[in-house]
Amino acid sequence: MSSVKAVVVAADIMTAYGNGLDSCWEGLLANRTAVARLARFETGAFHSDYGATIPGLDYHCNTSLAMQMLVQLFDRSKEVFPADARLLLATTKGEIDLLEKSIITGAGDAAESSLDHLLGKVANITGARGGGMVLSAACTSSTAAAARAAAMIRNGTADCVLVVACDSVTEFIYSGFSSLMALDKVPARPFDKHRAGLSVGEAAAFALIMSEERARREERTILGEVAGWGMSDDANHMTGPSRASEGLILAIDKALRSAEAEPQQLGFISAHGTGTVYNDAMEMLAFRSVVGDRKLPVYSIKGGIGHTMGAAGLVEMIVALRALRVNNVPPTVNMVEVDDDAQGWVANRSQDVDRNALALLTSAGFSGVNAALVLA
Amino acid sequence: MISVHGIGWITASGYGTIGSGVCQRLAAGEEMSSLSRRSIFSYPFKNFGRLDAVSRMTTYAVALSLRDAGIEYAPTRKQDIGIIGTSSEGSLASDIAYFRDYVDNGRTLSRGNLFIYTLPSSPLGETAIHFGLVGPLLYVAGEKQSLAAIMDIAADILMAPETYGMLIGQAGEEEALYLVLAPGQESRALCNFAEARSIVASGRDIAGMVDEFSQLKK
Repeated sequence: MSSVKAVVVAADIMTAYGNGLDSCWEGLLANRTAVARLARFETGAFHSDYGATIPGLDYHCNTSLAMQMLVQLFDRSKEVFPADARLLLATTKGEIDLLEKSIITGAGDAAESSLDHLLGKVANITGARGGGMVLSAACTSSTAAAARAAAMIRNGTADCVLVVACDSVTEFIYSGFSSLMALDKVPARPFDKHRAGLSVGEAAAFALIMSEERARREERTILGEVAGWGMSDDANHMTGPSRASEGLILAIDKALRSAEAEPQQLGFISAHGTGTVYNDAMEMLAFRSVVGDRKLPVYSIKGGIGHTMGAAGLVEMIVALRALRVNNVPPTVNMVEVDDDAQGWVANRSQDVDRNALALLTSAGFSGVNAALVLA
Repeated sequence: MISVHGIGWITASGYGTIGSGVCQRLAAGEEMSSLSRRSIFSYPFKNFGRLDAVSRMTTYAVALSLRDAGIEYAPTRKQDIGIIGTSSEGSLASDIAYFRDYVDNGRTLSRGNLFIYTLPSSPLGETAIHFGLVGPLLYVAGEKQSLAAIMDIAADILMAPETYGMLIGQAGEEEALYLVLAPGQESRALCNFAEARSIVASGRDIAGMVDEFSQLKK
């Protein structure tokens, strides 16, 4: 294996807690949810009226929700990205609100919602001129993008990759999840005994990933390392995970092998933890299979910020890197009564973790996709 | 070394494979929907009728490419093979179909069976399920030569190695082309990686790429 390390040198997020990682971190540590009743569109026909939206965004105006989030995120970060950075944009539905507006009002062109168009806009506002791609793999999109960025750096294809992720809460998406009976009537309760579904959330995030050699040459602050990755598919069902967890186990095994790490080196797990009955049970089965009887701190941030779909993995990676740095993981917000299979793993309080431990991050999504990262 | 071990294609005028030289032309007036699914798939495709158009084309081309590569599949068999695909318009047609239907129903009734195809990766998901593909699955777009970019990602995945074989290709509502990539055994391959990459990077349409691959084999 190549000894080139892929390190994160800049990263930030915008979530329903506010703009910036600090607001999200503080919200999670305070065990406070940002999931609230939706006011963005009429929800009377749906199975829930909860979601996690970012205050102040204008719906169906001239600029998409995704672009409003990204502009605010990059304005705040003031990060100047290297012009030679390769750009990987991860999203599921990008600017789908432009298509909604076109169909509802007849104004505009539905094709403006294409992911290619959004890629061009993101390249313009970031100044990343090294070529770009959209990567989409349902709710593993940005986990997969971080994995591919790290792979490009490890194998020498690139030494600087900007990963950008975004997805927003729209009527299109909300009605779809509702039709699939995937929404909890109350804010999502990951790993809770009485969990009944997810809460849709919106977020934007970026991570600048470099070779360690370049990061040191440019005297960059290293926030952490993407040490390993694995991707798989259940090949089982379009909208539900395999209950035997073999797909996620395969992705985790690949990630550990990619990191040349053993399960014993893991200090905590940032779970996908959507709050649906089957996802959370499937994940706990996988964690037990990989880690064995040693109970690790496991948490999900989706009770706090909702399920941010294609952006979820990158947001969770950036939160996990913070957790690694402070040796403490946030509580699983909204979890009141921990499910039997998560006893001793998941807590609704923050938990200390060992110094120098590795973190495991897991993601899963429609089509049976799975992705896992090992972070250091 | 990574080589191409099978190629399957389908267009409005016919379908075929490169390695085994199959080329079935549709008769005048015959539509793709009339194709015998049994002649293309090794076993019946469950719920094929509910697939969207891009998913149908993707699964046809993948079935042909796997057959061309001599890779067998069965309902209970799973294989660590990945799939990366692209399409010219992503899920735009499915997006419009889903949301227009929802609006036409007074914005109160939405259909989950339309919603699931609004992810650009869904055709790849349907393919993974039918053929038992448990390797990495990814939809890629944006580069002018997306198929060449996809080949590069697949090469990274195979060289790591993250999986043992990769299907790469592109699909639209009326056509698709898929290639089976795998490391080693170049002498038994259809062509090497560089040859295939130069063809898919040429910017030609699927029919044009099929012609070039066919010439290469001759």
